[in-house]
Amino acid sequence: MKTNCETVKNSLGAWLDGELGHADAEEIRRHVEGCPACSGERRRLERVQVALRGVLETESSRVAFEPFWDGVRRRISEERPRQARLWEWARPAFYPQRLAWAVPVAIVFLLAIFSLVQYAPGWRWGVNRGNVAAVDSIDGHGFNVAVLRESKTKTTVIWLFESQEEDDEASGEPTAKEPSF
Amino acid sequence: MDLSDWELVQRCQNGDVAAFQELVARYYRKVYMVVLGILNHRDDAMEVAQEAFFRAYRSIQGFKGGSAFYTWLYRIAVNLSIDFQRRQKRGPTELRETMDEAVDNTEGASSANDPFLDLQSKELGQRLVAAINELTPDHRAVIVMRAVEGLSYKDIGRMLGCSEGTVMSRLHYARKKLQEKLGPYL
Amino acid sequence: MMKLLESRLRRSLLFSLFLLLLSVSAHAGEKAPQGVQLSIGTILASNESDDFDAKLSKMKKQLEVIKYSSYRLVKEESQKVPWNGNALFEIPGGRTLAVMPQEYRNSRVSLKVRLQEGEKPLLDTTVRIRNRGNFLLGGPAHEGGVLILSISATVQ
Repeated sequence: MKTNCETVKNSLGAWLDGELGHADAEEIRRHVEGCPACSGERRRLERVQVALRGVLETESSRVAFEPFWDGVRRRISEERPRQARLWEWARPAFYPQRLAWAVPVAIVFLLAIFSLVQYAPGWRWGVNRGNVAAVDSIDGHGFNVAVLRESKTKTTVIWLFESQEEDDEASGEPTAKEPSF
Repeated sequence: MDLSDWELVQRCQNGDVAAFQELVARYYRKVYMVVLGILNHRDDAMEVAQEAFFRAYRSIQGFKGGSAFYTWLYRIAVNLSIDFQRRQKRGPTELRETMDEAVDNTEGASSANDPFLDLQSKELGQRLVAAINELTPDHRAVIVMRAVEGLSYKDIGRMLGCSEGTVMSRLHYARKKLQEKLGPYL
Repeated sequence: MMKLLESRLRRSLLFSLFLLLLSVSAHAGEKAPQGVQLSIGTILASNESDDFDAKLSKMKKQLEVIKYSSYRLVKEESQKVPWNGNALFEIPGGRTLAVMPQEYRNSRVSLKVRLQEGEKPLLDTTVRIRNRGNFLLGGPAHEGGVLILSISATVQ
């Protein structure tokens, strides 16, 4: 490790925290002991740590146990109903940074559903209508007409019986041309 | 009671609230200290510290002893504090008036002999609190966890869900910022 | 921090708006279709053999309901026709099939269909089929069997 003041300054915190490897730590220690500037820097760092710890220890020493425990016990006894807990669980989803991504994701999802309906017409809100056709009007012009639905593919079949209605009444038997559905 | 933490936890898991009370008594100050360090606000720190214990109580059944109870509790408290701080934006801290007392306690005999040093220390404390307030929750968390608990970078990283390298760079940044703010008072 | 979050939210909302406009324009194109591609398959069904034309394999399930023993594809024809335009198809036996696509709504094409023999109308019907779907119109006698017309429509 190159031990000039710049590199030492950058590693001083890690050295004080005991996070450097043995060799690097030794180099830094030797440099700090021999460099007034870095030695001063070390003192400043230590002062910050000590001051911070001191402030927090003083503050925490002022906190009495009974009122603190009362606050905890109150929470335990008033454990919030399931809905409040659910809201607490779901609330992070509404943080701006997550909502920022939830909005386009929701839009893409809705577009996907919309496109599915458009481009996969057989799929319609979970109901598969297959090939069903709707017959809005039909006029056989005097011929018998039958409308059937094939069960597997749901295909609509319009069948025109070319023999006229009066002919059907006269003859007793179906002709060979007529299908059996 | 002279039971270990794990024995107390097991009693809690069997519904013994008194055992949980004992755990609170053991750790409430330490938890409050780290929460206060991150939030820099007494009332919020009280609320969040109590909430941390409540959450621990509520999920005590799921604690299997894979880590020390305090480590588990500490992680709850730190994460709650960071989340809380992100949601709230607080103004200047209320802690300044305690600086005199805090600095007196830490400086001890040396400051009693040197009035100038004593005055300097009080100013340092006030500045320190103000400077901490300007750090982000993530930076506050690492510097407080290091200063208060003396946790290794690895442990801090594990608690915060980041790498040791990230802990190191956040600490370096936070310390650099504090030194810039505190300048001649150090 | 809040400024960063607000800008991120703003960016994502702009991106969402862009996606929305893109999709609307894509669907707008679809909503104003140019015309319809009509395809008519003329099938001869009879009981004179057991042959099933391999070209009709995709329609096998559809034809099963009619229960003839043999099916043969006589001809296939396609025409592109504008909305409310008339497409005429020649059907064996001196017949004509006229198909007029009327409208496209709810993914369904409305077709006005007339089958006539010479000048004599045999059948008039209005049918709504799904886009790229079909229906069967059968019955006219031909060469010892019957004709079945598979009428399909694809919106362009």
